Parts: sequence; structure tokens; C-alpha cells
Amino acid sequence: MRNKLFRYLKKPELSGIQSTIMVVFSVVSLSMLLILGVVMYIRFSASARQEIISSTQKLMEQAGEYLEDYLVSMRRVSDSIYYNVIKQNDFADQNKDVQQGMNLLYEANRDNLRSIAVYNEYGSLMAAEPVVSQKEDPDITKQGWYEHAMEEVENMHFSTPHIQNLFDDASFRYYWVISLSRVVEYTDKGTPQSGVLLVDMDYSGIARMMKKINTSGNGQYFYLCDSNGQIIYHTRQIQINNGIASENSGQAARYKDGVYDEYFEGEHRKVIVNTISYTGWKLVGVIPYPVFTYGMFNIRYFFGIFMLLMAMMLVYVNRMVSVSISRPILKLNASVMEYEAGETPEIYIGGSQEIRHLGYSIQTSYEQIDKLMKEIVREQNERRKSELDALQSQINPHFLYNALDSIIWMVEDGRNDDAAFMISELAKLFRISLSKGRTIITVKDELRHANSYMNIQKIRYKNAFSVFFDIDPAIEACCTVKLILQPILENAINYGMSGMEGCGEVRVVGRQENGEILLSVLDNGMGMAEEEVSLILADSNRKPSHGSGVGIINVCKRIQILFGKEYGLTIKSEPDEGTEVSIRIPAIPYTEENRKILEKGHMFGKEV
Amino acid sequence: MRDNKKVFILIESILAMMLALLVVRMFWEKNGEGRYRVSVVVQDSDSSQWSAFQYGLRMAAEDLDIELTIVSTGVTLTQEEEKELIEAEIDNGAKAIIVQPVPGAEEMLKKMEKKVPVMLAESAASQEGGASSLPVTRPDNYKLGAALAEGLLEDFGGNLEGKVVGVLSGDTGSEASASRSRGLREALERAGAKIRWPVFGSFTENGENSLRALDGVDVVAALDNGSLVAAGKYSAANDLHGALVYGIGNSTEAAYYLDTDAIRCLVVPDGFQMGYQSLTELAKSLDGYFYQAKSQVVPFTSLRRETLFLKENQDILFTMSQ
Repeated sequence: MRNKLFRYLKKPELSGIQSTIMVVFSVVSLSMLLILGVVMYIRFSASARQEIISSTQKLMEQAGEYLEDYLVSMRRVSDSIYYNVIKQNDFADQNKDVQQGMNLLYEANRDNLRSIAVYNEYGSLMAAEPVVSQKEDPDITKQGWYEHAMEEVENMHFSTPHIQNLFDDASFRYYWVISLSRVVEYTDKGTPQSGVLLVDMDYSGIARMMKKINTSGNGQYFYLCDSNGQIIYHTRQIQINNGIASENSGQAARYKDGVYDEYFEGEHRKVIVNTISYTGWKLVGVIPYPVFTYGMFNIRYFFGIFMLLMAMMLVYVNRMVSVSISRPILKLNASVMEYEAGETPEIYIGGSQEIRHLGYSIQTSYEQIDKLMKEIVREQNERRKSELDALQSQINPHFLYNALDSIIWMVEDGRNDDAAFMISELAKLFRISLSKGRTIITVKDELRHANSYMNIQKIRYKNAFSVFFDIDPAIEACCTVKLILQPILENAINYGMSGMEGCGEVRVVGRQENGEILLSVLDNGMGMAEEEVSLILADSNRKPSHGSGVGIINVCKRIQILFGKEYGLTIKSEPDEGTEVSIRIPAIPYTEENRKILEKGHMFGKEV
Repeated sequence: MRDNKKVFILIESILAMMLALLVVRMFWEKNGEGRYRVSVVVQDSDSSQWSAFQYGLRMAAEDLDIELTIVSTGVTLTQEEEKELIEAEIDNGAKAIIVQPVPGAEEMLKKMEKKVPVMLAESAASQEGGASSLPVTRPDNYKLGAALAEGLLEDFGGNLEGKVVGVLSGDTGSEASASRSRGLREALERAGAKIRWPVFGSFTENGENSLRALDGVDVVAALDNGSLVAAGKYSAANDLHGALVYGIGNSTEAAYYLDTDAIRCLVVPDGFQMGYQSLTELAKSLDGYFYQAKSQVVPFTSLRRETLFLKENQDILFTMSQ
């Protein structure tokens, strides 16, 4: 199986012109479409990515401004309490005014505030709003916001979110707050004292704001951390604290404002950092790379659908183009193949100018080839005919010389009647020999010719032999090559009758057997050895010792030229017994049409 | 030529099929059919004791893009009611159920599991616990009881000889209650304590009266949030004859009583983790056809008044407050 596969791979079949054109067109066009699509997609992705980053930056700027406004308002609350309430009143004498001033500010900002409180330097509560009972021993001086305020007295401090552990409102609830603390100077019984002003901002205010910008639902999120990377708000804050998730807030806290590429926890992401003024908090936007493609799923699908539709259309168009190009070539090829198969179709001429020209050329070529072929056949026939004529013409001079010699001899001898008979027979002989230039004559004429010839020879040989004709009348109307019996009879006389002294006998027998004509010449002469018989028909260059010099082989050749190799002569001979020479030819009825066919060299039922 | 035509038709057919698949997939995603819906059935679903649990579920649902339905239930839930609620949720398209099993619901839940994946929360379905074939996300209830005993022993220097301990439990037949009770009893008995009145049942208005009528004990150990809040309330009102209250709970009320010293020690199972892990595990079995949800054990924390507001424990209060 594997070998077959390799063999197939190694020897690919030659593909057709249509499939080649279609494959090449399809590959080229689809590649171009793919490249174009990918380039467009990359460009579009890059632009969409930039758009997402820009819109995120804008959103963060707005959120940052909102957050800053919020924190500024909290600082203003703190300032107002400090400068308008604490500084203006003595806690000992004007405690009521202090409380009232704090209450006014608390009520004005109660949506964002959880509590306002003033503690002295020992951590004791001086005033608070709203007025609720303080928990037992909350240990204020150990609380982070208090410690930070005391460490840097000139600054305001924003804590990270924590649970407020100061007051007991008996509601079974614990509030998350961000504490804004600062050291303040207050007057108690006319004596300046230092203490800490605490403004607890409700964490839910910041959480609400952060939730508003964390609604994309596509994986992009925003979080808030302080300058140390301590998370203030994160959508997955508890997961991070529980170790289920993690955040690179430490690194983000070190970033300056800007856009950063980050690889965190096996994920590529864009990090956009925006610093909140005064607090040093960082608003961080995180865009994991998959977010860039999140909104593009539909675009991807549309893109995919577009590509597939284009591909389908291209394949269709390519097929149409390849068909229109290849169809005339294929038709031309089909007609050429038919021609090669031996049929004679019209060569296809159609399609583009070049292919039409090709068709015309091929057609012209084939016509010329046809013409040339016919010319060759004609020439061959002529050559054969001329050969035949040459063979026939070999007979005449010898015989004529001998016959005329005999006539001269008879005239000189005063045997005028014999001379007249001989001349008459000679005339018959020549009339049949000529036969108006025909090569094919009837068997009857051939026998008549043989008879005339034998009559002439008998006179010449002074009736030294006798001749008998035993002919089936049915064969007389059949075709034969002219002058085939005469050379055989000549040989029979020359070789068989010499030395017979009046007892020589030549028999001419004609029979029809199995659709064939068998003409035999039998003599009772001296006969031949078997070796000599085999040489007669095999050696065409053999020179006869006497006689016409033509040889019996010429007869055989002429028969075979016109009727085929299976016909011809057979010779049987026994020394001192005699010789039988048989001519075998097909029994073809003599008609003008058959004669012409045979003379043209077309053997019946056979190729030339 | 005929072969070329076949190849052409084949290519066009393949492209057409791909196109059809893409279109179907696009519309399928557009309709959001890939989103699972998971329903949660717990007893007294509006109680603050489930706040952290539900917050954990919500966070997991957000992280995993799962549609979450928390079924509203009453203070008490019978096996039949639970069955009806679960069936109704499945009929309404819930692909999985998270359920706090009521005692004796094991067989019913096993039948339900054949329809949709089921994850138990807080307690196994059978009292034997481990024998149940249903996955459960819970704290190690035995260790929870033992941790409660440990908190108690710390206050008494490890010696409870002659001390009388009253044990409160909100339900009578759950695996959680049985395991916690066993963990507590074994530890207390080793320390020589005497368990005077184990009280099981609901501490509603009627139950409160029954608590007031109980004999004085040295220590009250509450095995669940309801019992603990009730005991805390009594303790805050000085109605427990000076008995110290210890308990297992996960509500802001329980934390408040700890904060106000009405409770001496509070053992808090991590409700957030219970919610988060139960849904995460269930999501795995929904995503992976051959994945079998496994039981999860969540941690717990022992809180004292002094440690309640430590930074590391603030998340517990945060999740309870959601």
C-alpha cells in the first residue's frame, strides 16, 4: 500500500490542460485572496486594537478624573472640617458648634461618607459624626490610618480599603471604608492640642464607580491600586486574596502613565496605567490580547464567509475560464485522436484564433499526408504493373524469334499451308497476348492462348509430342493472369519432351476446387530430381539451360503479385516419370469490375 | 473532462458545506446558546449565612460565564419541596444543580444526577458522608467540630473536667451536623467535659423560648450559624446564665456577637470558596463530557475577637457582607 502510494507520488500522471489551468488559476487566485485577506485582517486587527486601546485610555481618563474629583471632594470635606469647624472652635467650650459643623458637612456628603471623627493624640474620641457609640477599646493608636497620619503630619493620607472598626450601630453590619486621615491642631480649653481628623469614605462609592467601567464582559477590566501595589479595587479581589487568581499590581504600581505590553501568568496583555493625582493611586486598565479579537468573532465569521464565497466564485470563474480555453484544444485533440485511431473525422476548427489556426494546419497536414499516401499507393501499383509488364514482355522476343524462325523454315521448305496455319496461330496468340493491354483475362482465353502456342510448337517440333486439354467448363469464365500457362508449357516442351521421339505427351487439366482454380500441366518427360524441383521456385536468378529463358518463377511471381502469396505454383516431378506443374489461383468470376480491381492491385478481401 | 467536472463539483460542495457550517456556528454563537444555566437550591436562601457562599457563586459565574439562578427558599425545606424545586429548575433549562441536601434526600438526588450533574454544598447527602456517590463541596465538618472544641479548650487551659457543655444544632439529620457533633464530642470527651443538653432543632421564635428554659451550663457550643446567632443573642442579653458561647457560623450576625464578646470563638467555614469551588467543579463536568465532578474540601478559620479585624481575616467579613 505504502509502496503504491510512493509510486503514485513519484510518478504523477500527466494532467489534462483543463485541470492544469484550473489548478494553477485556483491556486494563484486563492493564494492572492488569502494573502490579501490576511493582510487586510491584520491591518483591520491592528486598527481595531489601536481603537480599543484609545477608547480604553479615554475611558480611564474620564474615570480617573471622576475619581480625582471624588477624592478632591473628600479632601475638601476634610479641609472644611479642619479649617471651618476644628480651627474655629474650642472643643471644651464649643463642642456643640463642632458637632453641628461636622454634622452639616456629613449630611451634605453622606452618600460618600461613612463617618467623620476627631481623635486626640492619645487616641481618644473628641467628636464624631454620625453620633453612635464607640466600640469598647478600639485601640485607635494602633490603627493604620492613625499611625500614617502621625508619621507624616503635614500630609493627608488615604488608606487602602478596610473594615471600619470604630463604632457600633447595632445593625450587625460591617462597612468597608477608605480612611482619609490627617493630623490637626485643635483648641481644648484654650490650649492648642494635636489630634487626628478621620474622614471615612464609603468604599461602596469607589466600588460603584469602578463597577461602572468594568462592564465590558469581554475580559477587559480595570483595577485600582495604591502606590505600593496594594489593591484598592479589583473585580476579582477575593479570588486574588484566596490565591485563586493573581494580579501584577506590584509591577503596575511601578509603571508611569502609559501603555505597556506585559506577559503575566502565561498571558499577553496590554496594561494602561493612569495615576490618580495626590494619592499616587494607579488606575490600571488590563486588556488581555484575546480581548482584541473578542469583539471580532463576528467579523471573523463574516470574513470567513466572505473568503469562502470568494473562493467558491473564483473556483467557478476559474472553471469557466479553463473550460473556455481548453474546450477547443480538447476537441481538436479528440479529432486528432480519432484520426490516429484510423477514422477520418473532420478536424475540429474553432475557439480562439490561435487554436483555429492550429486546426487548419493539422487539417492541411492530414490532407497532405492523405494525398501523399494515395500517391505512394498509386506509385507502388504503377511500379508493380510496370514490373508485371516487364515480366510479361520478357516472354515475347524469344518466342517470336523461335516462331518466326519456324515459319521461315516452313516457307523455305515449301510448306506454305503449315506456314499459313502457324502464322494464323501466331496471330491468335498475339491477339490474346495483347488483350488490349489487359493483364487479367478469362481462363478460356488463356487456354486458347495455350492451345495456339502448343499448335505452333507442335509444328516446330514436327509433332514430336501430343497435347491434351482436359478442362472443367466452369472455370473458363473465371479471371486469370494472362500468359501463365505458356511458360510452363514451354518448359514442359523444352525439358520434358526432348528425346521422347514421338511418344511425348503434355496434358493440360483445369479444375475448380474449394473456390480455387487449379490448372495443371503434366508431361511424361524425363522429370527432375527433388533437389532440382526445389531450386526452380526458390532461385530467381537461375539461368535456364535452354528455352525462352524466362523461367517458371516469373509465372509464380505474377500470380502472387495479383492474387497474393498463398497462390502460385507447385511442382511435382519424378525422374523418368514426368513432371506436374500446378497453378493455383482464386476462382473469381470474370467481370469488368473484378478485372479493374485486380489490375489496380487490390486483391480480393486483402490489404494491398 | 468528466473527472474535472467531478472535482469541480466536489470542491464547490466542500466550500458550500464549510460556508453553511460557518453560518450556523455564527448564528449559534450569536444566540448565546453555549451559555450554561446552573441553579442553586439551599435552605433559607435569603439568610445572611449564605452571603459568602452566594458571593462565591456569583464570582465563579462571572469568571466562567455561567448563568446562575439562586432559588428562593423558605426557612425550612422538606425533601419533597427540594425535589419539586430541583425538577422545576431542570424543566426550566438548568444544566446543573448545586444543592444543600436535606436529610434523607440521597436517593432523590441520585435520580436527579442521572438527568443533570449535581453538586452538593456544605453537607453530604448521607450521614456517613464519604459513602455518598454524589460530589460535595464542603468544609471538613468533623475537623470543624474538632476546631470548635479546640477553641473551647484553649480558653479552659485544655481541661474541661467538671464543665458542662450544651450543644446546639439547627438540624437533626444532616451529615454536616452529625460530623461536626462527632468532632466536637470526641474532643470534648477526651478533655473530660460533660455534655449536658444536646439540643437539635430550629431556633426560631419558638426555639428561643426553649433555649431560655434550658438549665444553666458552663459552655454553649453551637454547630451551625442559626444556633450560634440564637445563642449569641441570648448571651448578649445575659439569658444564658453566664454560659460562654462558642460556635460555627458564617454570618455578620455571628461576627457581630464575636465582636461584642457575646461569643468567645467563631469557627468560620469559607463560604466564598464553597460557592466558588462548587460551581467551578460543576462547570468542568459541563464542559468535559467525560469529566466527573469531584468532591472539594474548603478551608475554615477560627476567629477570636482580637483577630476578627486582622488584615488576613477582613476578607471573611467582606464576603459575609455581600
